[in-house]
Amino acid sequence: MANLSIRSLGKTYPGGVSAVRDVDIKIQDGEFIVLVGPSGCGKSTILRMIAGLETITTGDLDIDGRRVNDLEPGDRDIAMVFQNYALYPHMTVRANMEYGLKNEGLPKDEIAERIAEASRTLRLSDYLDRKPRQLSGGQRQRVAMGRAIVRKPKVFLFDEPLSNLDAKLRTQLRAELKALHARLNGTFIYVTHDQVEAMSLADRIVIMSEGKIEQIGTPMDLYLRPATRFVAEFIGTPAMNFIDATVGSDGHSLQIGEQMIAADAPIHAPAGTLVSVGVRPEHLHRGQDHAMHVKLKTGFVEQLGADTIVHGEASTNGTASPLGVRLQGVHMPEPGSELQLGAALSDLHFFDTASGQRLNT
Amino acid sequence: MVENRPFLTVLTHAALIIGVLFLCFPVWMALVASTHSADALSSSPIPMWFGDQGWQNYSLLISRGLPEAGGVPLGRMMLNSAIMALGITFGKIAISIISAYAVVYFKFPFRMVFFWMIFITLMLPVEVRILPTFDVVTKMGLLNSYAGLIVPLIASATATLLFRQFFLTIPDELVEAARIDRAGPLRFFWDILLPLSRTNIAALFIILFIFGWNQYLWPLLVTTDEGLYTIVMGIQRMVNSGESLPVWHLIMGTAVLAMIPPVLVVIAMQKLFVKGLVESEK
Repeated sequence: MANLSIRSLGKTYPGGVSAVRDVDIKIQDGEFIVLVGPSGCGKSTILRMIAGLETITTGDLDIDGRRVNDLEPGDRDIAMVFQNYALYPHMTVRANMEYGLKNEGLPKDEIAERIAEASRTLRLSDYLDRKPRQLSGGQRQRVAMGRAIVRKPKVFLFDEPLSNLDAKLRTQLRAELKALHARLNGTFIYVTHDQVEAMSLADRIVIMSEGKIEQIGTPMDLYLRPATRFVAEFIGTPAMNFIDATVGSDGHSLQIGEQMIAADAPIHAPAGTLVSVGVRPEHLHRGQDHAMHVKLKTGFVEQLGADTIVHGEASTNGTASPLGVRLQGVHMPEPGSELQLGAALSDLHFFDTASGQRLNT
Repeated sequence: MVENRPFLTVLTHAALIIGVLFLCFPVWMALVASTHSADALSSSPIPMWFGDQGWQNYSLLISRGLPEAGGVPLGRMMLNSAIMALGITFGKIAISIISAYAVVYFKFPFRMVFFWMIFITLMLPVEVRILPTFDVVTKMGLLNSYAGLIVPLIASATATLLFRQFFLTIPDELVEAARIDRAGPLRFFWDILLPLSRTNIAALFIILFIFGWNQYLWPLLVTTDEGLYTIVMGIQRMVNSGESLPVWHLIMGTAVLAMIPPVLVVIAMQKLFVKGLVESEK
């Protein structure tokens, strides 16, 4: 087990396309880090650079204090689980798990012991003599995890390992992964584009966009205090709502349509700055007695049983902007009817419309 | 066929059966002719059913050589053909799989130049480059040797391309997983690429063995020593045996015997070939 230090890491492909710029992450021993972001944001490139499958253009990568920039993947003491499993199709499950250990030259009884242990943990003991094609998707991915575990690496790398599985299996394997992490107490670095997966697995999330880190923090940091509008939109489903506003002349208030909202702390922007006020659908409530209120013209309604998600248009300041609200329990609003909604001051997020940076502390 | 109409079924089957009959007729004729005496074949009508001379004809062929074929025993010619065909097959597969591996998995200067050079030789079969090749072989002193029969026919753009296309379908993640598992280039080739190419190798084996077995022009050029004659050359020499009448019953018998090794190869390899198609492991 090990800690990892990534310092001003960058990747530029021949031809000048820069996939990753100036990435700094410090990863503690035993941490479960999830890299998340939309496709093409560079998260997989970072993982592949850590694995050694992609060369590092700039910056340093240390595993346990040793610079590994120029080491071959096999010499970095890492293990990787791929999205499409990447099992050797002509080898049995046992041979798949053994292969790396044999290449390392471990003694036979040691290999057998490790495989017995890993296959017990992953409930694969009955399948050791089967070929990968005789297994289901979930079993295949467990074999791929087994192949990683038996190597007892310093760092485990996961590249969207659950993306090829169906929703039910994904939830189940997510729980297994979390349990595996607790059991092995290893350093896990996990890449996904699924924010739910990121939220449920991570100790800390690194959220990326266009090759740069937007924010690093615990899932609740990201949910409660998104640093940028991008993070605010990316984390949480349905996505956060945004309403246009301007900073009032006193620097303490926001003008939303005819409404004036007094912020509880100074807003770090000059008067007249355009601001996007973010509020999560689950933080909007019915009624009049709220710090900020908004009218919703009902459109499409999702009846989910536990919640009702109402999509529609907000009519705060003349211009209509899309708005969604998550109401607890069963509601049956008529399409076209108006709902009176409001949110507490503490549930509002202010972002500079131009830069996307968070304004309220 | 998506449609299920009896008339169409009958029609398509009839067409197929006629096709099969058409293809099989020469083989049938060879089989039948090899069981008659020379007299029966030279008089009209030609027999369409087996005669009673089969045993004598075949034992004559197998036990001693024909003076018409230069007196080289049949067994010797079959052996020569087998050595040449197997040499060409193994040589081609070995060379082409290694060059495809280099072209696909290694980055080296002028990689694409090499690839295109291999590709262009597709357009140059043996017959086109036969004079320069003959010259080279002569200067290397390879006339009248197995090496002379085999080596010039080994380089194969087709097989290289086939392996290249197959290697390109192997997911990159498999290569990466192997790198993480500390498999170097040689180990990756031996432990992963080669087993995965098994079905491709089987398919190529069939094609190349038949190609090698049927070689006629090249062996004719480089061998003057009767001890190196191949079976295909032998048949041809029997037909053109100077003044005397061709001994059709023996020629057909030789042809039938010459068919056996390719047929055996097809039967043996087909199992693996079909298995590979059905399992589609990738």
